[in-house]
Amino acid sequence: MDAAAPAATAESTELPPVFAMRGVTKVYVMGEVEVYALRGVDLELHEGEFTVLLGPSGSGKSTLLNILGGLDRPTAGRVTYRAGDLSEAGERALTRYRRRHVGFVFQFYNLIPSLTARENVALVTEIAGDPIAPEEALALVGLKYRLDHFPSQMSGGEQQRVAIARAIAKRPDVLLCDEPTGALDISTGIAVLGALERVNSELGTTTAVITHNAAISAMADRVISLADGLITSDVRNATKQPAATIEW
Amino acid sequence: MRALDRKLLRDLWNVRSQVLAIALVVSSGIALLVMAQGVFGSLLTTRDAYYTRYAFADVFAGAKRVPNWVEERIAAIPGVKQVQTRVVVSVSLDVAGVSDPINGRLISLPDRGRPALNDVALRRGRFLDPDRAEEALVGERFAEAHGLDLGDRLFAVINGRRQPLEIVGVALSPEYVYGIGPGELVPDPEHFGFLWMSRRHLATAFEMEGGFNDVALTLADRSPSLERAAIVELDAILDPYGGLGAISRADQTSNWYLQNELSQLENMGLLIPLIFLAVATFLLNVVLRRTVAVQREQIAALKALGYSNLRLGVHYVQWAVVVVALGALLGIVAGLFLARGMLGIYMEYFRFPLLIYNVSASSILIAVGVSLAAAAVGALGAVRSVVSLPPAEAMRPAAPETFRVSLFERLGARRWLSQPARMVLRNLSRRPVRAGLSIVGIAFAGAIMVVGWSMIDSMDELLEVQFNIVQRQDLSVSFFEPVERRAVHELAALSGVLQVEPTNGVAARLRNGHLQKQTAIQALAPDARLRRVVDLDYRAIRLDRPGLVLSTLLAEQLRVEPGDTLVVEIMEDSRPVREVVLTDTVDDLLGVTAYMEQESLRRLVRRDDTITGAMLKIDTLAEERLYGLLKAMPAVAGATLRSAALQSIRTYMLDNMAMMMNVNLLFAVIIAFGVIYNTARISLSETSRELASLRVIGFTRGEISSILLGELGILTLASIPLGLLLGFAMITGVMSVFESELFRLPVVVEPSTFLVSAATVLGSMAISAWTVRRKLHDLDLVAVLKTRE
Repeated sequence: MDAAAPAATAESTELPPVFAMRGVTKVYVMGEVEVYALRGVDLELHEGEFTVLLGPSGSGKSTLLNILGGLDRPTAGRVTYRAGDLSEAGERALTRYRRRHVGFVFQFYNLIPSLTARENVALVTEIAGDPIAPEEALALVGLKYRLDHFPSQMSGGEQQRVAIARAIAKRPDVLLCDEPTGALDISTGIAVLGALERVNSELGTTTAVITHNAAISAMADRVISLADGLITSDVRNATKQPAATIEW
Repeated sequence: MRALDRKLLRDLWNVRSQVLAIALVVSSGIALLVMAQGVFGSLLTTRDAYYTRYAFADVFAGAKRVPNWVEERIAAIPGVKQVQTRVVVSVSLDVAGVSDPINGRLISLPDRGRPALNDVALRRGRFLDPDRAEEALVGERFAEAHGLDLGDRLFAVINGRRQPLEIVGVALSPEYVYGIGPGELVPDPEHFGFLWMSRRHLATAFEMEGGFNDVALTLADRSPSLERAAIVELDAILDPYGGLGAISRADQTSNWYLQNELSQLENMGLLIPLIFLAVATFLLNVVLRRTVAVQREQIAALKALGYSNLRLGVHYVQWAVVVVALGALLGIVAGLFLARGMLGIYMEYFRFPLLIYNVSASSILIAVGVSLAAAAVGALGAVRSVVSLPPAEAMRPAAPETFRVSLFERLGARRWLSQPARMVLRNLSRRPVRAGLSIVGIAFAGAIMVVGWSMIDSMDELLEVQFNIVQRQDLSVSFFEPVERRAVHELAALSGVLQVEPTNGVAARLRNGHLQKQTAIQALAPDARLRRVVDLDYRAIRLDRPGLVLSTLLAEQLRVEPGDTLVVEIMEDSRPVREVVLTDTVDDLLGVTAYMEQESLRRLVRRDDTITGAMLKIDTLAEERLYGLLKAMPAVAGATLRSAALQSIRTYMLDNMAMMMNVNLLFAVIIAFGVIYNTARISLSETSRELASLRVIGFTRGEISSILLGELGILTLASIPLGLLLGFAMITGVMSVFESELFRLPVVVEPSTFLVSAATVLGSMAISAWTVRRKLHDLDLVAVLKTRE
């Protein structure tokens, strides 16, 4: 990874994009109804960028993230990750891609309930090439005193930070977060955002966060808005606000 | 340990009661298998060791009286290795304090040294002193049955004369592992015993000096061709001396029964465990499928983290494998324990001086391997449906199930149904396949109960038919030699005799081409009332046509059908060889027999109008005096009580099968509980959210219990009729495997069996419901509602 400094200026766009989407469409067939989640989206994400994808529910932002993360394939259009084509990749290739390059954080944490914090992180470090030790990853998100707690013994914010630790422990090239604070109250939400911010700045991990909470966009390099399956705006923040000062 | 392996162990621990329930079902199957294989292997090894160590012969023959010099000619038959000639006689025995008639067989032992063949194994006491005429060894079971000890005396009634015998030793012989008397099916040591006497003294008592009437030999090898040739030669040599037809080891009575039992063990030892294992595998699949469905989001998360489908597949296969392995381990331990118990019972009826435990590891490994493989395949099937979903889709909770108004409601019942009742019905009709599988699973449990109990019904039926419809005499008497028919009148004149019917039997060999069977032809009067030929449908067959009637099984063995002609070699008198038409076959239940009308048999044998025995109906008040009178009649070789035969068969069946039956029943309860409990637990885990929501809006615990348990109740009730049908089908299959020359069990299922089976299933449901209801009470409403929708 190129440990580029946090890209606060437009100059960083000169670097080649990490992700490129061209005309991406996703259609879900629900029974007899066809639902258009994405309607021909074009998008590039760059190295080290902290991007917030903003939109109301149903805007297609989760679908976009899932496609970027190799969890889903577009119905039409092209998605590339560096030189690789994700839209054409098979199941094995997508598994390999997720295993090597992508860290996920989900709204509902998706921790394995039968494993402790440390073990949930170990799930990833055991299959990654050059991982951070689980303890270290947990320390990074401020949980070094919660190593042996089960998910049921932790608060939502703590669980989400375990999920972040799990996502970053493999030193992913990109960190994809789907409503990471959606299930949290404000103070724990801020703590989680702080963890993301720290990962982005200290490890230089390209980060994409989707949310319907506009306040979060203040901490991003770039804010992309979606509505009804289309990108409605793409704005670069002149200055980034530290996570700790965000309020909603 | 890898994190995924920890997940495995913790997941298993969380559902430990379900895991245990399935493992117990697996262990039931494996335990039955290990038990049957253990008993089979041990009996087989023990038998072979016994036969070798005590020189069990290959060929046996009886004759009237053969001069001693003929022995050399027998030894000269090509392929004969060793020859042992003997004197063997049937007698009545008199034991102090016993009024019932007792039949006995006296067998000679050489005056010097031990017998070259069919040696005896001395259990207590010493061998015979050839200089003392009254010494005898007595068979172990007979000694036990009558409490006889060394130094005790009993009497052999020989030609009406009481010959005293002193017991100096208690012995066993490979010839009488299954020690039955003539005409018996089950050893009855109270009424039949073996004794060994010194050859010289036995020959003197029976005017057999300078001769023998029984010969056994071993062959250089046991190839069928050599055996056949030796039998033909031996028959030719013994013919002039009233040879009764040589038989091979395979047809030797004790060995034949033992072999029969072994084959049955082998068959049953496979069939019933397989049924159990099939049920266990089925159960495991259902549980695993539902577990995987519940873990759908975890699977998606793991996939998102980069775990491959293969790795996840392996994870759930391990899940199944751990459960099966646990069951197998429990099953092997239990099976070894049960095998010892079963062997103990076998040792009562099949007597060996030694016992070698031998459990075939390979057959058990194969069974464990097959269950593991079946479980693994099932697990893969379960996990495939989930891993094939793109993770993004799997991560979202499964779309709400499509519900419909159930058929039952559409038929008009809707207005009477409460909302909870509608929930139950719609839950069931939303997943008809799954509801169907649960019903089938529970039905299996009921079916196994039916199989277990109906075996007892069948045995009762067998005894009822045999001893109330077929055999209605109280006593059957046999003579040393055929006697004139007027003996019937003499018997009838004895006080206490109410009715007499003559019987006639002749040793014969039935042949159809190269197929042959050594047997006895039993002759009955066409109007016989005390002993009749009755088939499975209680049809009494009238013997009024010349020709043979054979047990269906015997006809099948000889590959003849009614209308075909058989060659009948009579082994007595002038030894005529005749062609006889098979007129009918009879589906009788006990033994295999050839019947003929008595006048036809007399013409066939060209015998004078004689009889070889009689059936008596007697006045029970006068029986003791009558037995004394019969013993004093020189012509009477022995008398057999129907009640004693019935008793010994009943005891045998109860002993022999009771344990097997109890084990089966125990395991059926385990299956019933395993299936129902698992069904209940899975329903609970799937609907706990729904139920908690209902609690939040004000439903009582009782009301939500009735929703969950109502579903369970409907599944259970629906399974009962299916279980009964399935059980009936299974018992029909099992009985056809059980079919042997010893007995054929009729398929009988008493209503009480159906009731007991249904009650067991309902009882299992009640226990499961009670357990799950307690879990429902502990439902954490807040926690359930806090987790994601």
